Amino acid sequence: MRGDTMNEEKRNHMFTTVVALLIVLMCGCISGFDENREAEKRSIVDDLGRTVFVPDNPQRILSLAPSVTEILFILGLENQIVGVDDNSDYPEAAKDKEKVGGWIPDEERIMALRPDLVLVSDMTSQAIISSLEDRGLIVVCLAPKTVEGVIQNIRLVGLITGKEDAAQMIAEGLEQRIEAITSVTASQLYRPSVYLEYYPYWTFGPGSFGNDLIVMAGGINIAADTATEYPNISGEYIVGKNPEIIIFTVGHGTTTTVDDIRDRPGFDTIDAVKNNRIHTIDDDILSRPSPRIVDALEQLAYIIHPELFPQSRDMRLWCVPCLC
Amino acid sequence: MCSMPVLTASGSHEKYEMNQEHRWILIFLVLALLATIIAATMMGSMGPLGGGHNEISFRAVFDIFVDRAEKWPQGYRSIILDMRLPRVLLATLVGCALAVAGTTMQGIFKNPMADPFIIGISSGASFGAAASLFLPIEAKFKLPLCTFAGALLSVFIVYNLVHVGGKVRVEKLLLSGIAVGSFFSAITSFLIYMAGKQFHFLIFWLLGGLYTASWTSVHMACIPILLGTMGILFFSRHLNVLLLGDEPALYLGVDVVTVRKILLIFTALVAGVAVAFSGIIGFVGLITPHIMRILVGPNHRILLPASVVGGALFLIWADTLARTILSPTEIPVGIITSLCGAPFFIYLLRRSRRE
Repeated sequence: MRGDTMNEEKRNHMFTTVVALLIVLMCGCISGFDENREAEKRSIVDDLGRTVFVPDNPQRILSLAPSVTEILFILGLENQIVGVDDNSDYPEAAKDKEKVGGWIPDEERIMALRPDLVLVSDMTSQAIISSLEDRGLIVVCLAPKTVEGVIQNIRLVGLITGKEDAAQMIAEGLEQRIEAITSVTASQLYRPSVYLEYYPYWTFGPGSFGNDLIVMAGGINIAADTATEYPNISGEYIVGKNPEIIIFTVGHGTTTTVDDIRDRPGFDTIDAVKNNRIHTIDDDILSRPSPRIVDALEQLAYIIHPELFPQSRDMRLWCVPCLC
Repeated sequence: MCSMPVLTASGSHEKYEMNQEHRWILIFLVLALLATIIAATMMGSMGPLGGGHNEISFRAVFDIFVDRAEKWPQGYRSIILDMRLPRVLLATLVGCALAVAGTTMQGIFKNPMADPFIIGISSGASFGAAASLFLPIEAKFKLPLCTFAGALLSVFIVYNLVHVGGKVRVEKLLLSGIAVGSFFSAITSFLIYMAGKQFHFLIFWLLGGLYTASWTSVHMACIPILLGTMGILFFSRHLNVLLLGDEPALYLGVDVVTVRKILLIFTALVAGVAVAFSGIIGFVGLITPHIMRILVGPNHRILLPASVVGGALFLIWADTLARTILSPTEIPVGIITSLCGAPFFIYLLRRSRRE
């Protein structure tokens, strides 16, 4: 009994402390809004929902994600890039840029490069973003959730870097290519079921790029009603759903082959396996929210609806090298 | 080793006789295991039980088992017979192996904290698995042989650190085990870092799981695990005598050092082979022996078989939960074993203290 009262007292103390802390925190937030004195400077809202004050015409840009590097290059900002992360390998010229490390970048090297703008994706952790900002760097996060979001990112980077015209032209070009696919697939009644894998038994769930792309390409994602964006699904679910098409990624993260897929227990009963409709797609174009995401959309459309896009047969040949 | 004095030693001690009640508990556990295997085979994301997409009916499962499945989609038969059944059987084997290894370790070292993971066997075995990818030899049993070798290596190191001047220094056991285990884990992590494309093969052995189960893995795991388990069961009387202490055991005619070495080799065999097919799965080897000790007492002649069955029961249910709780998404089985195992273990500890 005595112990219980003691515990209760302790709990009460805890409660008071937590409430006090909350009040302090709230005051901090409110005063933060009051000090919004730099509002007249150019501000943008990035994909993390943060308002960032960006410099006019940045000349020393650092990219911490391959997708961001690709956007910078397509906008013709090659000479403004002072450094990239280790994974930035496209286009070829990105490999010659100064490297600042992988998932955990080398902050000393970053500071030595004196960037006036750091662009990151959601692969860079919040802790690293905060740490860079504490050192006085301006960080903008590009983390789109849809193909539409990638095009918005291109426009946003164009706006920040004074390349609005180039961004507008590229965005319109990409939108036309998307339109060319979706205008055909949208009206299709026949929508084959697709299992799209980026890692053995790991696939794209609702709200992910992969799911978005399959729907736009005129297919049905068998993992569309799973609980998470990138779920690890059970083999029996794949066999039970019996997809007409299986597509898996090839690239850095995987060693999967067509034979691996065929040899998985139970997979011999799947229509895609029986009808030889196992295809590959480059991991980089599918998983990077870069302009090449539209290449991924086109390839998926050719794989899912070969009858609608016959002119693209040559394209299909290079995206299924494993079948030869 | 002379077996006669051992028989008298255990025979004269009433506590170490298998009594009727314990026999019933054992029979009950075996029946529960059979029921569990059947129930777990019924459960999965495609039904009939436990999934959000219950497309396979009980009728279909019945037809599949009596081989009249023509009217059901071909995939259903594969799901039940080629995917779930081997997975449940692999969980049975791995659960047996981890629990029997844990019981043996706790007996040999007379330490309630001993289990294959804490002693470093599992980490040694997963290092063996990682190393096997870099060996240019192709052989069918390469993987389990490598994990066995890794497990044996870590047991050898730990044993020699703990065994000073013909005596086991139990207080050094946990420290050496943790040191050796983290050393091997560090090498495995380094190999993963360097492995590039092979990355996902390696991460499997660190995270653990039964999702790679197939009939091939069941066939390969079954013989070494069953042999090792039977070997350990054969020495259950010796384990009882070891509990009395090294000197009394010596007077009773048990060659303590040899028995301990043989048991450690068997333990490395079962735990090493288990890791080859399931990676590192924590908690099964640690808590199953304790639960069974509370149920059936400390006599290894009944404690060991009870642990074998108990470990299988625990791991089958943990794995079934792991693949159905968020169906069709799978979660790592280690989350379930720790999430269910730890509170249950604490409950048992509190209860047995009050008694």
